[in-house]
Amino acid sequence: MTVLEVKNLTHTYSGNTPFINDAVSRVSFSAEKGEIIGIIGHTGSGKSTLVQHLNGLLKPTEGEVFVDGENIWDNPKEIRKIRSKVGLVFQYPEYQLFEETVYADIAFGPKNMGLAGDELKKRVLDTCRLIGVKDEYLEKSPFDLSGGEKRRVAIAGVMAMKPEVIVFDEPTAGLDPAGRESVMKIIHDYRQAVGATVIIISHSMEDMALLADKLLVMNKGSLEMFDTVENVFLNGDRLREIGLNVPIVTRVFYELKAAGIPVPDNVFTVSRAVEVLKGIKAGERGA
Amino acid sequence: MLKDITFGQYYESRSLIHRTDPRLKMVLLIALIVFIFLAKNTFSMALAVLFVLSVMAVSKVPVKLYLKNMKAILPVLIFTGIINLFYGEGETLISFWKLEITTGGIYRAVFMMVRITLLIFLSSALTYTTTPNDLTDAIESLLSPLRFVGLKSAVHTLAMMMTIALRFIPTLIEEAEKIMNAQKARGADLENGSLRERVKALIPILIPLLISSVRRAYELAEAMECRCYNGGEGRTRMKQMHIRPRDFAVLAVCAAVCGGIITLNILF
Repeated sequence: MTVLEVKNLTHTYSGNTPFINDAVSRVSFSAEKGEIIGIIGHTGSGKSTLVQHLNGLLKPTEGEVFVDGENIWDNPKEIRKIRSKVGLVFQYPEYQLFEETVYADIAFGPKNMGLAGDELKKRVLDTCRLIGVKDEYLEKSPFDLSGGEKRRVAIAGVMAMKPEVIVFDEPTAGLDPAGRESVMKIIHDYRQAVGATVIIISHSMEDMALLADKLLVMNKGSLEMFDTVENVFLNGDRLREIGLNVPIVTRVFYELKAAGIPVPDNVFTVSRAVEVLKGIKAGERGA
Repeated sequence: MLKDITFGQYYESRSLIHRTDPRLKMVLLIALIVFIFLAKNTFSMALAVLFVLSVMAVSKVPVKLYLKNMKAILPVLIFTGIINLFYGEGETLISFWKLEITTGGIYRAVFMMVRITLLIFLSSALTYTTTPNDLTDAIESLLSPLRFVGLKSAVHTLAMMMTIALRFIPTLIEEAEKIMNAQKARGADLENGSLRERVKALIPILIPLLISSVRRAYELAEAMECRCYNGGEGRTRMKQMHIRPRDFAVLAVCAAVCGGIITLNILF
């Protein structure tokens, strides 16, 4: 079932400057329910501009965005309703925390949707349980938490709106390995629990190989590729041309192949690499 | 929306006025404003008008930009004009209730409006041709005599604070836009509602903005200290300001205009 569809989306930043440039130009793609789509691209390739169209923060200069089959700009007055259907977690979301307690901050989004009373409380507590925010944190000030905890609370603030599509703009930027892992885990858990579609902008090809079903590659505002992870990473040369790359482990396997060891090209994750190497070792023993 | 806010109005060009020493420009602006107010008859005012128009022409800044600045001041201008209509002597043209409009009043109103217009144009000529940083440097340099009364570090600190404030305006605008978008993504409604609701809706934006400003301030202070910043003591400048021959020429022209205004005042 297609949840989100983008058709021929073009966004032009113009204003009064003589330099009219398309930040996003004629992009089309669609996302199925429960899918994880990774968006990769060089800095300034239009990734962030693209995702701000998905929940109506930006209005396309041309083209349409459909959520559940409805054009989100059919009724501009109701655009706020779209924001609870398509959640957007910005880069460094912890800088948006403002309430006195963690509980109040997480409740901000659901409250804006019109939830109140027990329903609101249940929604906040459910979200906290899902992402592992402990009860004793709820009455703390969000500003007393550590960096990774703040990030999780901020993400919870968007998840509490229970969006069916949730978009993350570099969710793990600036976190230590443990923090990265815990953020990746809550994204995974949320998707499992709600069955939501997840869209992630990331610079980490390794994370993308591990997580995503499909990759959307942006280059200079245009859609370069939109395909399965395997098909995208098999185009390593083209990725390098536009300032990207394949995962490190894939590069290692390219070198192995160049050195004459018969390994496949489609090794994108460490666990798959281990499997392949074990296979080769077993084969050698057998020979 | 926020992007439209202009601060400092520098217009890039390389006219004579752009290249004139910013300190001289400031001093001359103050002097010329005084003399424009001293002009008291049609002839001396005509000279002032002529001078200001030629400054505008020489500055190579589009007239449109000068007029844009007038728009903001238009209500004040009209108000001044109307008030002055009723203060004047001479032949009565129209009278109603206790008020009367006289030829003298009209003359006075026009005179006042021209005066204010010249003032705005002349100050715009300064801000359009001088970068905000040059302006603060000029202020620091002009205030530097205060060191003789024991305020040396205060002058430097003031100038540094102004420079930093100017530098961070675009950064804060960008930050405010990011936070607004983030809260909108959480369903915040910033556009609708009563005045009370709208003011309340600002809290989720102002608090993060305040916190990040404080964080930035600490980071900046640390970065400055890492580069051995210790206030104004023994500090030299990368770009020294020098008075050049052309500055003397500019000074001479302005002095001639001031002298001309006084002479015409006396003659007619």
